[in-house]
Order: sequence, then C-alpha cells, then structure tokens
Amino acid sequence: MIKIKPNEIKSVAQYIYDISGIFLDSNKTYLFETRLSTVAEELGCSTFSELYAKARSDSSKNIERKIIDAISTNETLFFRDKGPFELLQHKLLPEIIDARTAKSSGLKSSIKIWSAASSTGQELYSIAIVIKELISDLSRFNFKLLGTDISDNAIAQASYGKYNKFEIERGLPKAQLQRYFTPAGEFWKIKDEIRAMVNFRKLNLMAPFGGLGKFDIIFCRNVAIYFTLEDRKKLFNKLADSLADDGFLVIGSTESLTGVSPRFVPKRHLRSIFYQKK
Amino acid sequence: MNTLSILVVDDDPVIRRLLEQRLKKAHYDVDVAEDGYQAEKLLQQRRFDIVLTDLMMPGGIGGIEVLEIAKEIDQRTEVILITAHSSVDSAVEAMKKGAVDYLEKPINFDELFLRLEKIINVKSLLRNARDIHEAMDATEHAASETIQNLEIMAAKLQQRLDMVENELRAEGVDPETRINKALDILAGI
Repeated sequence: MIKIKPNEIKSVAQYIYDISGIFLDSNKTYLFETRLSTVAEELGCSTFSELYAKARSDSSKNIERKIIDAISTNETLFFRDKGPFELLQHKLLPEIIDARTAKSSGLKSSIKIWSAASSTGQELYSIAIVIKELISDLSRFNFKLLGTDISDNAIAQASYGKYNKFEIERGLPKAQLQRYFTPAGEFWKIKDEIRAMVNFRKLNLMAPFGGLGKFDIIFCRNVAIYFTLEDRKKLFNKLADSLADDGFLVIGSTESLTGVSPRFVPKRHLRSIFYQKK
Repeated sequence: MNTLSILVVDDDPVIRRLLEQRLKKAHYDVDVAEDGYQAEKLLQQRRFDIVLTDLMMPGGIGGIEVLEIAKEIDQRTEVILITAHSSVDSAVEAMKKGAVDYLEKPINFDELFLRLEKIINVKSLLRNARDIHEAMDATEHAASETIQNLEIMAAKLQQRLDMVENELRAEGVDPETRINKALDILAGI
C-alpha cells in the first residue's frame, strides 16, 4: 500500500473535493491509502503526487472516474435500516397518493421519487418493491423513480441490477428475494418488472440539478455526512428547491438538519423522522 | 482445532470410510450418509458447514440434488462435489448451481484440506464482517434515537423562539405586555 506523505494531503484532498465534493480531512489519511492505492498502483504511480499529476493531465477524465469510484462509499443494503421503508409504506406513499389523486381529476397522477445517492441501486429497488407491494394496480399511476450517483461504476451496477449473495443476504427477506430476483450462479439479478420501474443516471450533488424537476419524495441518506457544513447547507437548500411543497424528504437515521437547513421541519412517524418544507 | 461440521455423502463404502477417518483425524466434526436419501434426512436434522458429496450416486438423489437440497435448507452450507474425471462438465454445471468447488477422483487429500482451509478462511472473514455490521447497526440504532430526539427538540425550541420573537416585535402593544407574553411562552418550554 502506498503511504500518503504529509505534504501531499492538502493538494490530493483538494483535488478529491473538487471532483466529488467529498471532504476528507487530514485525519482520514487511511481513506486515501486504502482506497486510492490500488488506483495508483494500477496506473504505475508510486506516490500520490504522481497519481494527482496524472489525473490532472488526463483529458479523457478516465482517471478522475476511477478515483471517484474508489473514494465513494458503496456500503448499502436492500432495506438498509427498516425504518425509512416502513415510513414510505405506511405514511409517505399513502399521503402522496391521496394528495395527487385528489388533484388529478381523472388523469393518471404522476408521482416522482428520487434516490439522491443511489450507490449500487439497493435503496431505489427497495423503494420500487415497496410500491409494487403496496399498490395493486400500478397502471393507475405514473411512477417515476430516479436514482443518481456520482460513481460511474455504481450507476452501471445499479442499472444492471445484479448483486452477489453477500450484498443480498443482509436485509432482504427470503420471500422477497425469491419474488423479485432471479438466481444467476453466485449472483441474483433483479427481475425486469422491478427493473423497468426505475432509472439511474450520473449526478454530482455538488453540481446544479438542472432539468430534474420537482419530486414528491426524496431519499438523501448517508451521503451529506461526507460534505463540509457549508456544502451540506447548499445541498439541502437545493433539495428544498427540488421538492414539491407538500413533498417529503428522508435523510439518514443518524443525520440531522439542525443548523443545516431552516427550510425543513422534522416530523416524527413511529420510530422514524421525515422532513417537510416549512 | 477445526470446528467446521462436514457431511460426507458417498455410496462407495471404502471412500466414505476413508474420508470420514481422514477428516476426523484432522479434527473436523464429521457425519456420513451412504446415499442422497440419508443425506437429505441428516440435512433436515442438523446444520452442516460443508457437504462433501459424490456426484454420481444410485437412486433418485444424486450429487446435484444433494447440492440443491443443502442450499434450499441453508444458503450458507457450502457444497464440494467429488467427480470422476469424465464428469468434469457436470461438476462445472454444479458450480453454476452454487457448489463452491469440486474434486476429481482419486481424492488427493492435500488438495482437499487446502480447499477446506480456504473455506474456513472465507467463513471467518464473513463472520467477522457480520459481527462488525451487527455492531455498526447497534451503534447506529442507538445514535439515531438520540439524534432524532434532539432533532425534534431543537425544532420545537426553534418554534418557541420564533413565537417569542413575534411577541417581542408585536406592534401597538406596550413593552411590558410584550415582555410578559414572551416570558409566558418561555416558561412553557
């Protein structure tokens, strides 16, 4: 493993921040070393300065993509933390459906849900499964489920919908595994009926959200923790702009918006919290 | 010391006995079945870490079926198939169905023990990862309870402070009344 030198930390950290918005302070040097060493070695670099120089001069941005893939955390599960999905099933979806059906006057109501840091797709597929199980006649609604992530690899894996048994074992009950996945050797692949409900695309949450429109429900869990307070403020301000006035925001169960965004108020439902615009 | 439990399934009594003896000598916890039916019965009775089964056995339950039964009962059970050289293709098919490995006859015991050690290593890594995940879940759960309570409390306080501010700024009300109303709100916190 390549060691990062004290004089390299600042410029490499700044570079990672510039390309991804992920803020690594100097006490997280182990993250540079464990996650970026393989990229450096693969490119024949023996120091992080070399990797940095190579990445900066690579106009194809391939190295930048490799670095983003390596540095972003992909620890995610189907139904990670049951709370948000129970919340979605028992509170958020029924309320949004009621509100949109009342407004639609016979037309198909459109309901937009966004998994803002979708990683390898487990969260958005879990949302799709909840919807599928809650609503008997999906054709009555026009569901638009979007997952975005900064990592090309994560988006590619999410789009393919194939997971190894370790990724799938935790969190997903056996009945749902068999209902919504097809076994493929050591892997499981999401069935087309669920796959067809979702879309994935690449997005850096630090960049403008141009063209995404307004969402009824936004899941933005466990990603803002990697940003500085200033960037978190900007992010949740943009999320408020992207959320319908009666829409819902769900953040990670150990995250807080106190001192981050005055535009949201927390509300409790059973063991979970969700946010609405003031 | 090996704590791994192994079920040996082989219709050939010589191979069965040999495997049982060698594995027991290496301190594995070993049980044997002389055909697929007996294997199925044992698999339903108790959990095994590893099933070591002959691919070709007489009767309706061959190695592939033993594999399917073992995986159906417990995904975590690893299955190694023992095959004749001529049936390597079916062994590869079996791996597609979830077998972890296969061994060709005649059994090379050094090879078998190497494979078993590899499985032990993977299993202990998985165990380790699971323990860490469980510890993380417990910590996360406790932290989220605290954070969510604070989040709601902070929002309530903010709401009160906004009310206090409104009272203090109220126009056309004399200062003392404004202060008293604000104090009443603060007293209610």
